[in-house]
Amino acid sequence: MRVLRSPLTARLLFPVAVLVFWLVSIELIQHVWPFAVDVLPRPSEVRDFIWDELRLDTFAPYNVFETFWISLKRLGIGWLIAMGLGTMIGLAMGMSKGANAFFNDWVVAVLAMPNLAWALFVSMAFGFGNTGPIIVVVLTGIPFVIINVREGVRNTPRELFDMSRSFRVSQSKTMRHVLLPSLMPFMFAAARYSFALGWKGLVVAEVFGGDDGAGWTMKFWYDAQRAHGVVGYAFFFMVFAIVFERFVFDTIAKRVFRWRPSLTEVEVVEEMFEAEAPTLAPAAQAGR
Amino acid sequence: MADIVVKNLHKEFGVGAGKVVALENVGLSIGGHVFVSIVGPSGCGKSTLLNILTGIENPTSGTVEITQEGHEAAPGYVFQAARLLPWRTVMDNLMFVQEDRSPATRERCQRYLDMVQLGDKGDKFPGELSGGMQQRVGIARAFSVEPDVLFMDEPFSHLDAITARSLRRELHLMWAQARKTVVFVTHDVGEAVELSNRVLVFANGGRLVDDIEVDLPFPRDAADEDVAVAKARIFRKFEELDLLVS
Repeated sequence: MRVLRSPLTARLLFPVAVLVFWLVSIELIQHVWPFAVDVLPRPSEVRDFIWDELRLDTFAPYNVFETFWISLKRLGIGWLIAMGLGTMIGLAMGMSKGANAFFNDWVVAVLAMPNLAWALFVSMAFGFGNTGPIIVVVLTGIPFVIINVREGVRNTPRELFDMSRSFRVSQSKTMRHVLLPSLMPFMFAAARYSFALGWKGLVVAEVFGGDDGAGWTMKFWYDAQRAHGVVGYAFFFMVFAIVFERFVFDTIAKRVFRWRPSLTEVEVVEEMFEAEAPTLAPAAQAGR
Repeated sequence: MADIVVKNLHKEFGVGAGKVVALENVGLSIGGHVFVSIVGPSGCGKSTLLNILTGIENPTSGTVEITQEGHEAAPGYVFQAARLLPWRTVMDNLMFVQEDRSPATRERCQRYLDMVQLGDKGDKFPGELSGGMQQRVGIARAFSVEPDVLFMDEPFSHLDAITARSLRRELHLMWAQARKTVVFVTHDVGEAVELSNRVLVFANGGRLVDDIEVDLPFPRDAADEDVAVAKARIFRKFEELDLLVS
């Protein structure tokens, strides 16, 4: 029972469950509509496609590594701009009522725009190349940076600033050791959201206004009527996201937040439901 | 050691009918190697007074002068909640309030950590320590800047009675050794009598109503008759005031 219920087993079981569901669905749908064989890729076809791509054997103009590198560069530049500009605006909005009133409606408006609208507009304005996609990354990511940084400023620990002031600690020391660390959780949230959402915006921008990159390549496979290519690239997207989340953000977060008392939350919740109740029966009997 | 002179200190919030007087024309003078307690019920203005003395708040009117040999004295402050930087180690927390980062300063910080029996906890984060330990770090931090005057705002009120008792003893020994002025705010009359040479009694509305010398020898035990007599005197003062006001 122990092995079956461990978190690792559950994690491995999920892809297995997906695979089983996939195979079963294809069988069922083919019974209903035999012509679906061209549209629905089998897991084996996707697996072969992925394997070919990894060996640089592809029909697309660029292989999977070049493609993702092109997209990653755009995402990186756009993300840096979103973080830099967004942090400045967020700080201003958090510290000044005037700045907040000035920017607030624009932040809400930008947040409400679908990625597609940005993608179409920049492709008309900038055509092919890097500028358009980078701008879309900035526009999709920046509202999240602004909102999170503003919350960070609003949630600064007043009592620690008072402590610092009562000991006559200098402004620069206070900024470095009190303000910046207190903003870290919010900066991390800003970074994660703007990265994930920027990526989505980038892919849409590349589909509609590019001639290279991960989004454009996925559309290439769609145009070529190769469903296994589309699904295969979706798989690459997932791997890309997981790699960044686990190996980049998580690793940095562990270092930056190592001072937090560790909690194994899952175990705590399970214990609430599973823990053995103390047996009162013997005492009751003895008292009789 | 420092001299603290307060003249006509007045602090109020709001205007008209909603006006709240936190401190009413307070005048006092504290000087030398003394342990002064400020005692009063919750809301009597004692924390406000401390905030004004340390510069966190400004008075509505009146003056505060804290001096030692003619220059501004550097204060130490111990808070009700330890107020440690959770993202820095214990040693870094002490170093944060120092003037420089020299090895001599670091050694001094280590000495004060040893004094509160946390010498081996320098590399731990506050989240890894118990409430009592965190408060001791706060005390070590305040003492480590070797201030002329030490302000303490109900530092033991959040701790259990046993831990508080042992910390009171530690505090008394550190004060006796260090020869500085301590201003100690508390609502616990017994604690005030146990630790101080002098007790300033505050009543609701920020009024200074009594100024008592406690001239008993140290160390004092709560069970001592003289201690009980001093306590009784203070409680009687509060009862008198209740009769007058109501």
